[in-house]
Amino acid sequence: MKLRTKPKRLALAGAVVAGVIVGLATAAEMPPLAPLGDPPIPADNIQTDAKVELGKLLFFDPRLGGDASVSCASCHEPEQGWAFAEDISRGYPGTVHWRNSQTVINSAYYGKLFWAGAASSLEKQAPSAAKGAVAGNGENDIMEARLALIPEYRDRFKAVFGDEWPLIGNAWRAIAAFERTLVQTDTPLDKYLKGDASALTEQQVRGKELFEGKAGCMSCHNGALASDQAYHNIGVPPNLRWEEDGLAQITFRYELYAKGVNEKMYRHTKADPGLYFRTKNKWDKGKFRTPSLRYTLYTAPYMHNGAFYTLEEVVDFYNAGGVTEDGRTTDFPESKSPLIQPLNLSDEEKEDLVAFLEAFSGDEILMAKPELPPYAPLFTEADLLLEVKK
Amino acid sequence: MSNKVLKASLLAGILVATGAVSTGQAAETPELGPLPALETDAAKANLGKRLFFDPRLSGDAAISCASCHNPEYGFANDQPLSPGYPGNGNFRNTPTVINAVHKKTWFHDGRMGTNLNDVTREMITEDYIMNMDMRLMQERVKQDPVYVQMFKDAGYGEPSNGSVRNAIPEFLKTLTSRGAAFDESAMSDAAKRGLNLFQGKAGCAGCHSGPMFSDGKPHNTGVPENLEIFRDPDNHQAFIAFNMFMGNGNYMQLKRDVGAHVRLHKADKSDVGQFMTPSLRELKYTAPYMHNGMLQTLPQVVRFYNNGGGEDKNKDPLLKPLNLTAAEQNDLVEFLLALSGEPLTSDEHVWTEPYPDEYEVIADWRNVPN
Repeated sequence: MKLRTKPKRLALAGAVVAGVIVGLATAAEMPPLAPLGDPPIPADNIQTDAKVELGKLLFFDPRLGGDASVSCASCHEPEQGWAFAEDISRGYPGTVHWRNSQTVINSAYYGKLFWAGAASSLEKQAPSAAKGAVAGNGENDIMEARLALIPEYRDRFKAVFGDEWPLIGNAWRAIAAFERTLVQTDTPLDKYLKGDASALTEQQVRGKELFEGKAGCMSCHNGALASDQAYHNIGVPPNLRWEEDGLAQITFRYELYAKGVNEKMYRHTKADPGLYFRTKNKWDKGKFRTPSLRYTLYTAPYMHNGAFYTLEEVVDFYNAGGVTEDGRTTDFPESKSPLIQPLNLSDEEKEDLVAFLEAFSGDEILMAKPELPPYAPLFTEADLLLEVKK
Repeated sequence: MSNKVLKASLLAGILVATGAVSTGQAAETPELGPLPALETDAAKANLGKRLFFDPRLSGDAAISCASCHNPEYGFANDQPLSPGYPGNGNFRNTPTVINAVHKKTWFHDGRMGTNLNDVTREMITEDYIMNMDMRLMQERVKQDPVYVQMFKDAGYGEPSNGSVRNAIPEFLKTLTSRGAAFDESAMSDAAKRGLNLFQGKAGCAGCHSGPMFSDGKPHNTGVPENLEIFRDPDNHQAFIAFNMFMGNGNYMQLKRDVGAHVRLHKADKSDVGQFMTPSLRELKYTAPYMHNGMLQTLPQVVRFYNNGGGEDKNKDPLLKPLNLTAAEQNDLVEFLLALSGEPLTSDEHVWTEPYPDEYEVIADWRNVPN
């Protein structure tokens, strides 16, 4: 009967070995860094100028939210890297979110959205964000009703989608189409990879070599997007705000409750279980989707819970093998990636690496907020008076 | 006796009995009288009171139950149409929650007939009312040590959605009319004359019967539509969302509140424009009146009925011009006022202690269970 306890440990050891092997295997077949091409466009939501223009208005329109005060742009501010410049996103009024807001720039290239890949398309990400209690807190019926009371939207939805009345599902399609225009394909790295050797400094070229070699970044941050779009636990510690901020504690418990975990996990989990929420596999605890490194010059702070405010801190964290300066790491060490090991980078190497990371970003993409179309009564006074006499 | 015969005779007996009862009802409507006193659990009711006045029970923490059900206005609202959640409006008048516990069906259309626990959930979660995800509400409540203690003291244990929905109705039990001149047999002569008219010439008691002064049924009295529903997009959006949700076809083009049709769904639509007979208690504080607040004062209401109600093809045939004199109309108003009790505005019924400005942090968070 000893076997009842032993296999666990054996299985774990096996998993680690398998992980290393998988890691090595992917290292061999790792897609190289590459210039970023055009984003994939889904066949059922093609891009048109009119759709993109409508999506832009909707992206900035707070009426797509519960109390008409927060829009997509409230947490994805163009001036804050199309993200939110705090560790944890601001959240709906009266709340705070629990994860870092990710940039919209280049989100078009991801197969799945959100830190744990909970949405399978931009079209599905938008309603999840607009409706979540700690994000937009909107409901389909009221948001759809609001769109119908905005004459310009009635006209635009009709022209773009043929809607007799604006359908909320088409609002998400238009927003997704707008987001697919928010891409950056002309970074110094893109130029360099296309043959312009002068696009990177010598220091950045040294950083690139470290990135692809000694520092091992390429194991996950590979391909044109600099993301394998897979899920890893790299050792990010829980955000200290959960120990210091009552509002953050509320949201943390809410997420455990709303996403559905068992009683024991609800009581005792003190860190974001990430991918576990989707798979309910214990080996997925603390895993998050590898984010692209593109546009990161503008999207601090970093990591799923904004644990680090600078790229230097990020590099230090990896250099230490997934441990912070003050010795903190993931609450789920069993599922931590074996790929994350101390790197023994020198100070100069770390500087080179940070310099190279900056080559993943081009100019800042800024955009003036559009003037939003106003509400107007749907019926004329004459219509109404006619009805009254019925 | 064979089984068949037994069944037949039982059935006949039931029919006879029912017939007798219904004849009795037609002759004399359920008697007017004071409302029964209700036993309440003090600790639960006190907790319910703190919850009722707490804006943290709404999605953006901006409004509480009391924002619309304001004690200053008899736990109703002085606006014709209820204010609604921020960014939204509403399309109906806020009914008082005083005596709500004595009702069997709730809302102007009577769409809920279970219990106040369900009504409480409906109000907290409805997007144009309080727009609260109750899971988030539970965690907010759990973050407040005052609540943690109060839930414990009330015997609920740990704060939960279920106990919030139990405690608020317990508080509502304490909101029962008391001290009305009618109940205390202290009516003025004018009010007494009004009572006679109420039960006689004016025919009010045909619908406004029993201790609640309501038959608990829907009627169409021809109250004009409140066009502010459609003029103000904030109100109209709530109206559209509601009708969409309730399955009313053509909700985008709808220009009138269909009332009880949302639950009766009569094919001939004869139920369109029917609304539940409201209680007449506490009218002194709850102006404006009718399901959409279209009548501002009690004299206006009496004049409305004296004219035989409004205009509507589905209007209840019970409504006919009453030919009341001005003096009789005054007497009726006096009687209606005698149905209002003492204002429930003291701290016995109102939570007056401040709520914390921010949520207290749970100390040693990593080591205490969530």
